[in-house]
Amino acid sequence: MSAPATLELRAARKVFFPNTVNEVVALREIDLEVPAGQFVTVIGSNGSGKSTMLNAIAGTFRLSSGHVLLGGRDISKRPEHVRSRLIGRVFQDPRAGTAPSMTIEENLALALMRSTRSGLRRGVSNRRRELMRVQLSRLGMGLEDRLRAQVLKLSGGQRQAMSLLMATIAEPGLLLLDEHTAALDPKVAGTIMDLTEAIVSERALTTLMVTHNMEIALRHGDRLIMMHAGRVVLDLDREEKRGVTVADLVAKFHEVAGEALAVDRMLLD
Amino acid sequence: MSTVITSALGQGLLYSFMVLGVFITFRVLDFPDLTVDGSLPLGAAVTATLIVHGQSPWLATLVGVAGGIGAGMVTGVLHILLKTGQSDTNNYGPKLLAGILTMTGLYTVNLRVMGRSNIPLLGVQVVFDKIGHLLSILITPWTLVAVLAVLAIIVTFLLDWFLHTEFGLCMQATGDNEQMIRALGTNTDLTRVIGLGVANGLVALSGALVAQQQGFADVGMGIGTIVAGLAGVIIGEVVFGAKTITWLLFSVIGGSIIYRLLIAVSLRVGVNPTDLKLLTAVLVVVALSVPTVRRKVVRV
Repeated sequence: MSAPATLELRAARKVFFPNTVNEVVALREIDLEVPAGQFVTVIGSNGSGKSTMLNAIAGTFRLSSGHVLLGGRDISKRPEHVRSRLIGRVFQDPRAGTAPSMTIEENLALALMRSTRSGLRRGVSNRRRELMRVQLSRLGMGLEDRLRAQVLKLSGGQRQAMSLLMATIAEPGLLLLDEHTAALDPKVAGTIMDLTEAIVSERALTTLMVTHNMEIALRHGDRLIMMHAGRVVLDLDREEKRGVTVADLVAKFHEVAGEALAVDRMLLD
Repeated sequence: MSTVITSALGQGLLYSFMVLGVFITFRVLDFPDLTVDGSLPLGAAVTATLIVHGQSPWLATLVGVAGGIGAGMVTGVLHILLKTGQSDTNNYGPKLLAGILTMTGLYTVNLRVMGRSNIPLLGVQVVFDKIGHLLSILITPWTLVAVLAVLAIIVTFLLDWFLHTEFGLCMQATGDNEQMIRALGTNTDLTRVIGLGVANGLVALSGALVAQQQGFADVGMGIGTIVAGLAGVIIGEVVFGAKTITWLLFSVIGGSIIYRLLIAVSLRVGVNPTDLKLLTAVLVVVALSVPTVRRKVVRV
């Protein structure tokens, strides 16, 4: 278990397929500081670099140059599974966050073991089971009475609620949400968003939430950033966010996208 | 008829450890591991060689098992070297290749260990003689079945305990959803290496026991092990249809016995022994393709 940590990106740059015709610069020298406990929503079009940024923080791949610091420590060179002890993640696909043929209690036991080395103790202990019941009952889905059910029997919404609980139950230093409500129907997505808000605010988790939905991005969180072509092009704090509408964001988006198009045209000329 | 049944029971139990090993790789780790065709004769080769050199059959069997564990871990390490990225968890190419390479290498290792292609174990004490002496019983086909059944139950309970430890749960999750368990901070390369080690240790245990029961180790005795193992796993799952891991482990033992009974019956009705491997292969193909075919038929 760890306390919420400050996240810093320093001149973070990621180039895919460098020195080939397929070279893509996905992140261009990103500098970003997220204080401990801040909830940041991230928007941007496809290919803007928002998912790449999350994956670079989580360690799915290494940065081409620059640094990722968590709680003041440079984790840029640490492998994914080591970073994962400090970072909770929820993915878009509800199937990604849980092991389907294992039971609810086994999945949660795995999540509780996050920050510890796994040994030859019993995975699902009675002490852990009690903790699971308390946490599951807060989801309001009745899962606390189905501890021995296989996760594949659950609905997409239930599985995503499980994923969210599993990502946060061991109190990670950082929570990364990658469009975690995008694959759910609107009503279930609303439920999951409410749960997210409740868990993040209660534990004051440092959180980055990528979303396609500008309304959600404006309604939730302490800060909003917009990315485009591998850069942060807009950064609004809680106060600034308050006065902004979806229409404003769309306008801003067209402005930066238009600029990019203009630059492209200049290059072509 | 009674001799056919005792012999099939004995064979089924002797090979049940191998089938448990195949279950661990194929079902728990989602790793179709071909190492088993080499680790079964490795267990036999090491054990037989040590016994004819005057070592205690207990020690010989134990070292045989250790050899299997080592072989499995080699496959795990080769897989780490051969796979292209962390994310291609559903790519079976590197997994198959790692197993094939170890299996091929083991053929030489087994010949080197034995110094020739066949070692008879005649006129020497084997582990079953020791067990008989220890329990003050005469080893007959029936008492052998009883001894093997007790051993199989002990091993199954140990395996069940292992799979429900923290490490065991991480291993199960590695085969079930690797991306998830990596995101929970588990080094899946390590869980796979150890899982492959445990599985091939079990396979080598079968090899060691089979050699001591039949009275010889032969370099060719591993051919078709993977297919026979799969047949046992599938028969167990189909016949005893299971939900929990505990129940599945026991189903697999049952599957191994039924498979050997089927073979015994086939031989009795006049099937040529040399046709058995093809029959087994066809059996596995049918059993594995039934779900796919059924899905296609339903869709139409």
